[in-house]
Amino acid sequence: MKKTENIISLNKICKSFPLEVGGVQQVLFDITFNITAGEFVAIMGPSGSGKSTCMNIIGALDTPTSGVYELYGRDITNMTDDELAVVRNEHIGFVFQNFNLLPKRNVLDNVMLPLMYRGMSPEDRIIRAREMLRRVGLEKFESYLPTQLSGGMKQRVAIARALAGNPKLILADEPTGALDSVMGNEILRFFKQLNKDMGITIVMITHEFDIASYAHRLIHIYDGRINYDGPIPKSEAVLDKKTKVGKK
Amino acid sequence: MTFNDILKESWLSIGGNKIRSFLTVLGIIIGVMAVVIMVAVGETVQYEITDQFSSLGTNTVVIRAGAAQIGGVRSGNRQTLTIDDAEVIAKLPDVAAVSPVQSSGAQIVYGNRNWSTSMMGVYPDYTTVQNIEIERGAFFDQSAVRNASTYAVIGPKTATELGMGKDPVGEVIRVQNVPFVIVGVSKERGDSAMGSQDDMVIIPITTLKKRLQGSRFPNSVNMIALKLFQDADNSVVIDQISALLRDRHRLKQGDDDDFQVMDMKQIMETMTTVTGYLKLLLIAIAAVSLLVGAIGIMNMMLVSVAERTREIGIRKAIGAREIHIIIQFLAESIMISFIGSMIGLVLGVGLSQGIGRFILGYNVPFSLWPVVLSITVAVVVGLSSGVMPAIKAAKLNPIDSLRYE
Repeated sequence: MKKTENIISLNKICKSFPLEVGGVQQVLFDITFNITAGEFVAIMGPSGSGKSTCMNIIGALDTPTSGVYELYGRDITNMTDDELAVVRNEHIGFVFQNFNLLPKRNVLDNVMLPLMYRGMSPEDRIIRAREMLRRVGLEKFESYLPTQLSGGMKQRVAIARALAGNPKLILADEPTGALDSVMGNEILRFFKQLNKDMGITIVMITHEFDIASYAHRLIHIYDGRINYDGPIPKSEAVLDKKTKVGKK
Repeated sequence: MTFNDILKESWLSIGGNKIRSFLTVLGIIIGVMAVVIMVAVGETVQYEITDQFSSLGTNTVVIRAGAAQIGGVRSGNRQTLTIDDAEVIAKLPDVAAVSPVQSSGAQIVYGNRNWSTSMMGVYPDYTTVQNIEIERGAFFDQSAVRNASTYAVIGPKTATELGMGKDPVGEVIRVQNVPFVIVGVSKERGDSAMGSQDDMVIIPITTLKKRLQGSRFPNSVNMIALKLFQDADNSVVIDQISALLRDRHRLKQGDDDDFQVMDMKQIMETMTTVTGYLKLLLIAIAAVSLLVGAIGIMNMMLVSVAERTREIGIRKAIGAREIHIIIQFLAESIMISFIGSMIGLVLGVGLSQGIGRFILGYNVPFSLWPVVLSITVAVVVGLSSGVMPAIKAAKLNPIDSLRYE
């Protein structure tokens, strides 16, 4: 019962990459945490801290070197590439820093893309994608190409695409990184609303404390280890202090 | 992914780089067009040859001097067939008409004109054997053969080339300084596989042998041509002729024939084999350009995979399995080769029919060959040139691909 509550369960996850000169470089050390349904979690850390690798594992884009990763209580640690693709398609909605929309497909096609790979009928896809575009306020732009839209609009299209598959989990990698602060805040408020109104679990990767503070929980990764895991602290200084302590 | 999805995705991707796609398609268009045209040329040659031989009738039989093959080389120059052989064969019950044939080249002089053409010494029955019709005058008769008369029948083209007027009958031409009186002009037949039947001089065989060639073997001939009655069984008669000639030539058992008997069917089969090789050769040459076109597709697809690494990463991140990516890229290369093949087919058939039939006036046969070929090419070329890039695309790691700039 408790297990099904956990959407994400990382247990002693380690990840190493082979180096070209030989040997390996370990970037994640014994990462362990759970995320339960309905949480809004920010994973924060400076560049090179291993947060992106952590996100790739959570997003089923990569597999850990050791440790166990359970998504919805299912161990996906040793799945094949195709099995992982199905997991991503059915359970995870991705929102990327640089939107990652297909530039030569119109907005509607972009939103429908994950539904096509799921095998949904073309009629249902259109109904579903239009509904999602309405939710992000872009129903009038369905025939536009991404290049004709502003950054904020592109990110809303990306969110509509992430929501189209009806996932319980949205994984956002620096979702405001390519946006100005006004648009960035708009996107963050939207995430907050999705989390509150629809109960969608959101995991957001960022290197900025201000952005992380939109979430309810902060996991701070430093040098491949969890440095802080808890509610959003009052100031970033808490994290810095910890790293300094940790470094000693 | 439905079939429509696959078509739509491919179409949008191909349309995404119009010039490059067009050039790639062009490679296939040229390849298929070349093959289709070459097939048409080959088939036209085959058809024309068959047509001309069959106009002679399948009951025509030809006996050539010399063994069929000596050391792999056909030898037709041995003095083994004689006019007497022809006379004896004429007595066989199934034989309708016989003519010994001696052929050579000839330089004809008429007034101040000179014309080089082929000359044949024959019997009057040659007209029956070769279906020669006379437009003006008449063919010489057997008495002309007996007397070695200097009579000549010429083709209409020869008459034109010599600058003769409307009625050449009665005019005198000179061959090796021997004057010949033109007694007839044959009817126009068009060029044939045996050479132009409209440009030739036919004279009595005795005249050719005695007056022009002054041969040491006045009786020997290159060939004996005969026509059988319609109801005759060709193979039976051929066996009879062989037996008769072997006996007359005093060949022992186990000796090779010193002559070769073939009916039109056999000659046609030989010609078909030869033209078949010709056709194959033409197709093989054209196929090279098709191969180049196929390499063009593969090249384009590889570039396309490299360029669209990020797109592939996005697709994989949101749930595309390897098979989806493979299908997408294969569908693109098949679509390109399909479009190219169909345009190539239409252009190839259009050009070969248009130029061959309406400008050159040949009977270019319509055949299913090019259609089958084009569809096969579309699928085979598309698959074979697309499979490697498609697998390459499918195996891309989504993380690296998403990071790809």
